[in-house]
Amino acid sequence: MRVLLLSFIIIIFFFIQSSFAGDEGKIYGKGISLKETTKISEILAKPDENVGKTFLVEGRIIDVCKKRGCWMEIASDKEFETIRVKVNDGEIVFPLSAKGKLAKVEGILEKIELTKEQTLMWKKHQAEEQGEEFDSTCVNEGMNIYRLKGIGAVIEE
Amino acid sequence: MNLRKWNNILHRDIGYLCVGLTIIFAISGIAVNHIENWNPNYKVEKVEFKINPIPITSADEMARDVVQQLKIEDDIESTFRISPENLKIFFSNLTIEVNAETGKGIYEYIRERPLLYDMNFLHLNYAKNVWTYFSDLYAIALIFLAISGLFVLKGKKGIKGRGAWLTAIGVLIPIIFLIIYKYF
Repeated sequence: MRVLLLSFIIIIFFFIQSSFAGDEGKIYGKGISLKETTKISEILAKPDENVGKTFLVEGRIIDVCKKRGCWMEIASDKEFETIRVKVNDGEIVFPLSAKGKLAKVEGILEKIELTKEQTLMWKKHQAEEQGEEFDSTCVNEGMNIYRLKGIGAVIEE
Repeated sequence: MNLRKWNNILHRDIGYLCVGLTIIFAISGIAVNHIENWNPNYKVEKVEFKINPIPITSADEMARDVVQQLKIEDDIESTFRISPENLKIFFSNLTIEVNAETGKGIYEYIRERPLLYDMNFLHLNYAKNVWTYFSDLYAIALIFLAISGLFVLKGKKGIKGRGAWLTAIGVLIPIIFLIIYKYF
């Protein structure tokens, strides 16, 4: 019985070791299949033309959803610019500890058009989620959000 | 050996096998059930600070200035400027956000919750891959335990007596809840 238990543990250990490791980091979701990366600045320069297209982007993780790990903000190659990668809750969970690390993310660009009221709700929700204060007077009009619907990612360890 | 004896043997042994994972999944279940009120994986601590304003130069130079003023000895992992005056500096498990003009900033410490992080890792199947199949096996084992449990005892306390009533109550609770939730 002891030999059986020991063999079982050893087999599981090697099985798990071999199935999680990626060459460049930890794999999330379906990983990445595209070979060529696209600059985030290029995607966001003409966002409407790129909606619905699948891209592989690379950049530093600036922020991660503090509650569910359901989104992360990736730094663009252009200064002060970022793009959000959103995944369905629970499908992929980005770790909070990934902040500051390099990531390659594959996703489909989507556009969300928000009215002023929806913008207010969205920003309020974001602030609550991140445990930050929200000033409702800063919202004067609706907004468009361009974000990547994440399919998979590789984050450096 | 009759069927009931086999049923009880399997129920007992598979039950032993499932104890560990059941406790882990149950504790994690309680933790993530309240995800609206807390982060079950990480403890996030924010501390405000104020330093002397720093000149707006490159992100790296600004970061060096901040680190010197705060006397942080850890290595900087990376930096990012959200806007010309707002800078983020990333360390392992620590992020600093600072406004160069005002010198006001926030430390954000991120720590994994001991044990709970790992329990959630297993329960929510962050690992995917091989763990998905283990979890499926575990779920099948639980279904077996539920069904075989019905036939462990015979007589008045078994499924033909007291067991039938208790099983019916257990089945009715989610059904009644769903009816009330959907139609009232």
